[in-house]
Amino acid sequence: MAVKKFRIVLDGVEHEVEVEELGGVAAPAAVAAAPAPVAPAPKKKAAAPAGGAGDISAPLQGTVSSVAVKAGDSVKEGQVVAIIEAMKMENEIVAPRDAVVASVAVKKGDKVSAGDLLISLK
Amino acid sequence: MPTKRQQEMLDKKKALMLGGGEKAIEKQHSLGKYTARERIEMFFDEGTFTETGIFVKHRCTNFGMEKKDLAGDGVVTGYGKVNGRLVYAAAQDFTVVGGSLGEMHAMKIAEAQEAALKVGAPMVCINDSGGARIQEGVDALSGYGRLFYNNTIASGVIPQISVIMGPCAGGAVYSPAITDFIFMVQGIGQMYITGPNVIRAVTGEEVTGEALGGADAHNRISGVAHFSCENEDECLNQIRELLSYLPSNHLEAAPSYECADPIDRADAELDSLVPENPNKPYDVKDVIEKIADNGVFFETQEAFAQNIVTGFIRLNGESVGVIANQPKVNAGCLNIDAADKAARFIRTCDCFNIPMLTLEDTPGFLPGSAQEHGGIIRHGAKMLYAYSEASVPMVTLIMRKAYGGAYIGMCSKHLGSDIAFAWPDSEIAVMGGDGAANIIFAKEIKNAEDPAAKRAEKLAEYQEMAMNPYVAAARGYVDDVIMPHESRKRLIDAFASLKGKQVYKPRKKHGNMPL
Repeated sequence: MAVKKFRIVLDGVEHEVEVEELGGVAAPAAVAAAPAPVAPAPKKKAAAPAGGAGDISAPLQGTVSSVAVKAGDSVKEGQVVAIIEAMKMENEIVAPRDAVVASVAVKKGDKVSAGDLLISLK
Repeated sequence: MPTKRQQEMLDKKKALMLGGGEKAIEKQHSLGKYTARERIEMFFDEGTFTETGIFVKHRCTNFGMEKKDLAGDGVVTGYGKVNGRLVYAAAQDFTVVGGSLGEMHAMKIAEAQEAALKVGAPMVCINDSGGARIQEGVDALSGYGRLFYNNTIASGVIPQISVIMGPCAGGAVYSPAITDFIFMVQGIGQMYITGPNVIRAVTGEEVTGEALGGADAHNRISGVAHFSCENEDECLNQIRELLSYLPSNHLEAAPSYECADPIDRADAELDSLVPENPNKPYDVKDVIEKIADNGVFFETQEAFAQNIVTGFIRLNGESVGVIANQPKVNAGCLNIDAADKAARFIRTCDCFNIPMLTLEDTPGFLPGSAQEHGGIIRHGAKMLYAYSEASVPMVTLIMRKAYGGAYIGMCSKHLGSDIAFAWPDSEIAVMGGDGAANIIFAKEIKNAEDPAAKRAEKLAEYQEMAMNPYVAAARGYVDDVIMPHESRKRLIDAFASLKGKQVYKPRKKHGNMPL
């Protein structure tokens, strides 16, 4: 067995010690690689709950760059009804559900704050 | 033939297995809910559940309680297998005095928690309880305290999952709140500190329990919960799926699975997925699915702070946590909720040895007094802190916009990312082009004969010079600029190279993370 030299400091005094390893340490047994299992098949998840409320309001502060619907129009869930430009990005505002547009509260160029009413649905 | 005493035991167990009795079970079913034992049976691999403490009884003698025998003291505890792996569970039994929590009820849950902690197995707690058992007074409170304490001690050691399949009100909410993931079933699970009746009495506000603390409220608005499930079957399946991405404890790696999806699969659609016009949004989940094994993305907190996307994928069969800006929602900006959501997810991945992939395309932190006064500085700090502190393999892929503080914050190499890639359309810069040009060339623009033309000229100059990935790549802040279709292979290679990652940090009690 190899002798190893160490320098240790005890209470501020340096000591040189020699350490001899007496018994070998058993190497960790090699674990046989178990066959990798197959991932469980993902189950179909339900879509995230939609907003649900009757109206569409601005999700963030910005400028209305276009309105794609007018009162009386039918809209489908997920359809783009307006675009608000903010952070130099066009944010698509989509219908939360299938509905008919009751009224439109904004027009192109309007400045809106987060939470402002954009479109009422019925 | 069993002996008389053997038969006695069998009869006792049979009676205890009925919980609150057939009438109460019928009532539970009529509410669209399964009983505690049915939930346990459905959750574990068939025939693997072993119940512990079925004979435990309460020892309360107040208010006539000494005359009441409560089966299992209102909670089913034990262990079993989920996809072949050991998992501990407790399920509160609403059919027994409304699943109310007393001293011994809490003791049973605590025993399961402590066993799970000792052996390093996940703990799942199904909550369906009217609250503290009032007759037991402070003993019930002491029970809650022990659970919260155990939750905290086990945090970061074993995955802890809470399932809300019934009421979970008052102090009871803090056990789930401390755990890693909360599942809620729509129309069945509710969480609140004070319920609708107290709110009405104290403030006059009218609100229903579901609107106040239902699955939608906590998944979409408060961010308390991580999963909203349509029904209990779907919920239990999703917990099983989540567990497949997590290791059993902090000393293990997450399980790896066989991967039939070629690691060098190049998806040409990735090359055209991000619009060239930097003002146009796209859905980052399309990117994630095109990179992931078999296109599977297991999303967490899907309905909350949707401007950042978090969840798990597998790359070559190995679990990877994904944190991605979502340009489709709120411009993909970083705000208070997004920072909180990301920070929590980053720490969840880090404590359970799950490598992290950051996909970046964000115009920056959302400006405005609502954000500043809401504390975006301290909330945003959580995300930076969590990334910097993490020691798992981290790879960052910049897809498009990476400006200023948001660039640094979204797991740049400066915060400890091991490998950073960028797509050719990336704009890695101190700020967006317009703003930068207006500042740097302010004088020239102001003094020009035609300021508008000058501004356009200077903006083009700035964009040409700075709005690309090559300035950062020249400094080594980005390791390589790659084609989008190469991403899957390059990311798999990158994570493979990082498998042995070790990080040595100064010893300390614990950091002082901004909270």
